[in-house]
Amino acid sequence: MLNSGEILNTVEMIQKENLDVRAVTMGISLLDCRRETVAASCQAIKAKIHKFAGNLVAVCEEVSTEYGIPVVNKRIAVTPVAHIGAGFDAAGFVEIAKALDEASSEVGVDFLGGFSADVANGMTPGDRELIAAIPPALNGTQKVCASVNVGSTRYGINMDAIALLGQTVKDLAAQSAAIGGFAAAKFVVFTNQPGDNPFMAGAIHGLGQNEIVINVGVSGPGVIARALERKIAQDSHQSLGLHDLAEEIKRTAFRVTRSGELIGRQVAKVLNVSFGVVDLSLAPTPKVGDSVGEIIQILGVDVIGAPGSTAIVALLNDAVKKGGMFASQSVGGLSGAFIPVCEDHALADAVRNDTLHLEKLEAMTSVCSVGLDMIAIPGSVDAATISAIIADEMAIGMINNKTTAVRLIPVPGKEAGDFVSFGGLFGESAIAPVLNAGQSARFIEFGGKIPAPIHSLRN
Amino acid sequence: MVQSPRHYVISVMSRDHVGIIHEVSKVLQNLNGNIADVRQSVLCGYFTMILLASFPASVTRRDIERKLAEADAHSESVLEATVCEADQATMTLAAPRPENIYVLTASGVDRVGIVAVVSGFCEKHRINILDLSTAISNGDYVMILLVNLNQHVSINAVRTDLQCFAHETGLKVVLQHYDIFKAVNEINLPLR
Repeated sequence: MLNSGEILNTVEMIQKENLDVRAVTMGISLLDCRRETVAASCQAIKAKIHKFAGNLVAVCEEVSTEYGIPVVNKRIAVTPVAHIGAGFDAAGFVEIAKALDEASSEVGVDFLGGFSADVANGMTPGDRELIAAIPPALNGTQKVCASVNVGSTRYGINMDAIALLGQTVKDLAAQSAAIGGFAAAKFVVFTNQPGDNPFMAGAIHGLGQNEIVINVGVSGPGVIARALERKIAQDSHQSLGLHDLAEEIKRTAFRVTRSGELIGRQVAKVLNVSFGVVDLSLAPTPKVGDSVGEIIQILGVDVIGAPGSTAIVALLNDAVKKGGMFASQSVGGLSGAFIPVCEDHALADAVRNDTLHLEKLEAMTSVCSVGLDMIAIPGSVDAATISAIIADEMAIGMINNKTTAVRLIPVPGKEAGDFVSFGGLFGESAIAPVLNAGQSARFIEFGGKIPAPIHSLRN
Repeated sequence: MVQSPRHYVISVMSRDHVGIIHEVSKVLQNLNGNIADVRQSVLCGYFTMILLASFPASVTRRDIERKLAEADAHSESVLEATVCEADQATMTLAAPRPENIYVLTASGVDRVGIVAVVSGFCEKHRINILDLSTAISNGDYVMILLVNLNQHVSINAVRTDLQCFAHETGLKVVLQHYDIFKAVNEINLPLR
């Protein structure tokens, strides 16, 4: 029997601090769904999703009720569709996206990730067709998310792909101008993309995974923020050092991870599929109190973006991993603090107040997961500049052996300081200015590759 | 033919002082009693213990009571002891299944009848209380109950009724699976 202090602390964590499991994502291999024609392949894909994910939502609800811990998002990640559709044209890929969308709606999941390709070391004709299909596919569907891996520490960065994708981002936004360019929020460009990430928009069921897996994303930053506030209030008479606060984050991360693992393994058991990983990422939501930005402020900078912000994110990110690693048998995915501007009200406020800029966000992404995420920029920013922003972020990931990503929304018709709202979990934000836009075209026109980095002399 | 041993449940209460457990266990030892299980607790300076022990068939309940009374006579403070023969059927009752064990906490301003009200709710829903303790937290009186939920009762129905109960009584009540508490506080993950 646990002691009453442990019981009461746990009750507090669940009730007041809104402990939940942020995402249960079923990874489904579609490798056996390829048929002679697009239509037959779509049928096979839908049948497979129904077969394995048909009960996913119901089982998540059941386990969540039993344990009294909400499972916020139920999702599906599939084998990168470029592998399934190779040989089809862009129109064929759009049909596959529609089939994925229909299947997702029918089984009741929130999103499906995996309209994806890996072009880190070069592009196949199939990859090229998939990339061409991304704007119509995402604008013609509700739940499908796309991602392209353009670089890796092993292979370097594919600048030809990045040159294409700057335009893809522009097209996505332009074709969804009526909803603030929202389609761009469902597309993310990666370097070192993991194949077991349960979070959208970058979830895929990579090659080298089991046929079907359950991956879970742990609870959001709110639990960590409340634990830190409580620690600071309780120990106000003592001189708390940052190491003490790091320790508090670590302990809380242990608890949060444990809950995620327990629920995820139970869901996998009931569905009779294998359990994959717990992703330790702290994913904010636009809700007040569930923000990584708030943690940055709690840890001592008055405005986000002020000097010290990057160091705080580094401390947070590392402490979460240390707590989570011991708590879980298998940690994977992105596993780091997210700083998605629109989805985090404190970060969005900082952008609106002009204290947080793209450049500081970029610095912060070098010490945390996952990159320049959900940042609304002026619709007038040219494709080459977007490509160059992507290249900068990819370079951080490639050189530092980590995952980085870019999800920018060039909001059509809006300029820096204007406001955009996407609603729901996608949040809202002021449009962030892009300094020196239009000055990078010659760099992008070179194309080719940035060679893989040296693996010694690491400084 | 050797007769099988007899099992007794013995409870002892006394003002706490050094040596109570030795005083009691010495009595049992002298009667060739073998202690199988013990729970012991001290509350506000009062000691209480309940134990299960087996004795040779020749030892009667009266024998045990008499010897405990002798120990009481020599003890620093009064030892109030009760002895009863354990019912075999009760002793072999299956332990509750881990998936049915929940923690119920109820908190509110301390007042007369709070325990009766909460335990009344449990009785009405055929919820067996396995362990009960109380604490004061942030000025509130908190009851912490480890309960065994009847597996034929739907957890959803209990939660719904619990919400009404909380509303009627002004208590804050939380029902949460015990595995969650174990998962976040213990080294081992409680996998099924």
